[in-house]
Amino acid sequence: MEVRIIHFYPRLMDLYGSRANVLALERYLKLLGCGVTVETVVPGGGADLSRGDFFYMGAGTERSARAAMEDFARFGGRLKEAAQDGAAMLFAGTAMDLIGTTVREADGSAYDALGLASFVTEHGRRRIVEDVYGHTDLYPEAVVGFMNKCGVVTGVETPLLTGLELGFGNERERGPEGFHWKNVFASQLTGPLLVKNPKLLETVAAAVYARRGKPLPVDRPADPWAEKAYAVTEEELRARAQAK
Amino acid sequence: MRKLFAIMVCKLSHFVGRLVGKGSSLPGKFALKICPDVLRRVKLPEHIIAVTGSNGKTSTVEMIAAILQADGKTVVYNKEGSNQIEGVTTLVLTHATLGGRVRADVLLIESDERYAAHTFRYFHPTEFVVTNLYRDQLTRNGHPEWVYDSILPAIHPETELLLNADDPLSSCFARGHGRVKWFGLDKCSVSGDEPTGAYRDGAYCPVCHGPMEYDYVHYNHIGAFRCTKCGHRKPETDYTVTAVDLDESAVTIDGEVRIALAFRSIYNIYNILAAYAACRECGVGRETAAAVLSNYLLKNGRMQRFRLGAHEGMLLTSKHENSVAYDTNLRYIAASDRDCVVLVIVDAVSRKYFTSETSWLWDVDFDRLRAPHVKRVVLAGRYCNDLAERFSYTGVENWSVEPSIPAAAAELKSTGDEELFVVTCFSDRAKILSRVEKEA
Repeated sequence: MEVRIIHFYPRLMDLYGSRANVLALERYLKLLGCGVTVETVVPGGGADLSRGDFFYMGAGTERSARAAMEDFARFGGRLKEAAQDGAAMLFAGTAMDLIGTTVREADGSAYDALGLASFVTEHGRRRIVEDVYGHTDLYPEAVVGFMNKCGVVTGVETPLLTGLELGFGNERERGPEGFHWKNVFASQLTGPLLVKNPKLLETVAAAVYARRGKPLPVDRPADPWAEKAYAVTEEELRARAQAK
Repeated sequence: MRKLFAIMVCKLSHFVGRLVGKGSSLPGKFALKICPDVLRRVKLPEHIIAVTGSNGKTSTVEMIAAILQADGKTVVYNKEGSNQIEGVTTLVLTHATLGGRVRADVLLIESDERYAAHTFRYFHPTEFVVTNLYRDQLTRNGHPEWVYDSILPAIHPETELLLNADDPLSSCFARGHGRVKWFGLDKCSVSGDEPTGAYRDGAYCPVCHGPMEYDYVHYNHIGAFRCTKCGHRKPETDYTVTAVDLDESAVTIDGEVRIALAFRSIYNIYNILAAYAACRECGVGRETAAAVLSNYLLKNGRMQRFRLGAHEGMLLTSKHENSVAYDTNLRYIAASDRDCVVLVIVDAVSRKYFTSETSWLWDVDFDRLRAPHVKRVVLAGRYCNDLAERFSYTGVENWSVEPSIPAAAAELKSTGDEELFVVTCFSDRAKILSRVEKEA
């Protein structure tokens, strides 16, 4: 199977090692036997989204996200069609803000986001930085990661993480986090969340296969280092959560 | 009266604290409780130099102090590194008379970049050095622009800024500010053509987000930048390293002042230049500054030579969560010409707070270790698996994993005689230094 990954603004939106999510998915799919092409989209540059299997944007600063949105808006229609059609997508960190309807900045200004989802993001002056330990309905294992944001998200009805034992969710401490609809995944968990959560990587890869009407192969590649790293972090954060 | 009481309590609690080995911020905290604006009420020296930035604060402050002292000036500075307002209050009040006059010619402050606005609420620096701004401790700092916004309110219109002309972000502090002196490096032997590193923070202009171009780069995205859209660019410099001779371990400032380097690191060169600029702005002669800076050995212990078995070793302290600091040390290893082994340790991400966050490993350009003279790399510590996962995405092939730091040290001690570089952070370095023979 030939898979085409579309990576939006890899230099503008690459805080906290965000690009590692693309590297992880690319390697995983290749180990499954797929041919993988990664195409990058730069502001003002050309882009053919028509045959995209996976669309991705990572975290950027609030100013970078706003700058990215000025360009990203031109893809709104095609991305909504692709999402409706079951294309796999991941928006991490501030990129999640950009698929809602509106982003309100701390200085009182606001701008329109893509409108792929109906939530609103409101940035503030307080930085929310903390480890996250949560759960999703997609699989039984815990999700681990780190939150590094300055805003709250309201209006999400289908969160990616249904509950947190540690960390700040969309609207509140230990509340639901992220967004999930069809094969669109979004989370304000920053950085390489697919590396940190091997099960989430598998889930996203399954979404890529599902759109092609195929199940994920039974023989899947193992990544012992990622698994061990997850085990250490999961143990640390579970203990932290239980101590609270 | 409250001022006097605050000074007395601060002095007394500082004295008691030293007897019991307590930190340097508590006395200042007590004083601020008693008299919140005590820093406005004391009489400060004519020169108040502040140094902030992501990297190089401590080293730059240490060198500034050494130069000023060599020039016969009395300098009060926070050598204990307590760089938030409580620590600065302790520093000021313990060096003040009971009447509130600070007994010094210069007050020199290493300021935490995120809390600078708080520290300088009641007084402001006469000279404010910003070494640089880039990704550093993002688990508490958010990101560089967030830090920029935190520092901005700390800049008083009367303060003279000493800014790094080669840094696209911190150079923005000059926008709308009247009094600025610039330091930077001309194109020289260490310069490259394009930004380097695992990510590209210099790809887009911090002012308008237009694409940036570079005439030359000294490290990562630090160099002669220019925005293709709004014109934000490296300015003309007032203090300039005009030549770098790494073979002779020397730099030349302003075409005439030659300074021998004790440590051939690009960081060291920038720190030397920043210290030189700050002291020259305070009236120190170029000969005095150059004499102190030549072969200056930092006392902060960030570079430590040692022996482990048959290995000559060097600890390169690299702040975890600071990819540029890591890159600089990896660049140093890559540039060495002797066969070597590298031990990378990530055991506690921070010594000050808990986190399991390891995203920053993806910002470090570990591919720099892909060099023929790097014979092998050993990854150790609690987060060795995260390191291993990161290395599995590099072109480095000769790496292995040993979770236990003692076991890694023992294995290295018993095998090989190559040069050994240890790359780790303040939080973890004692774990290896306790197992080696340190050199003075």
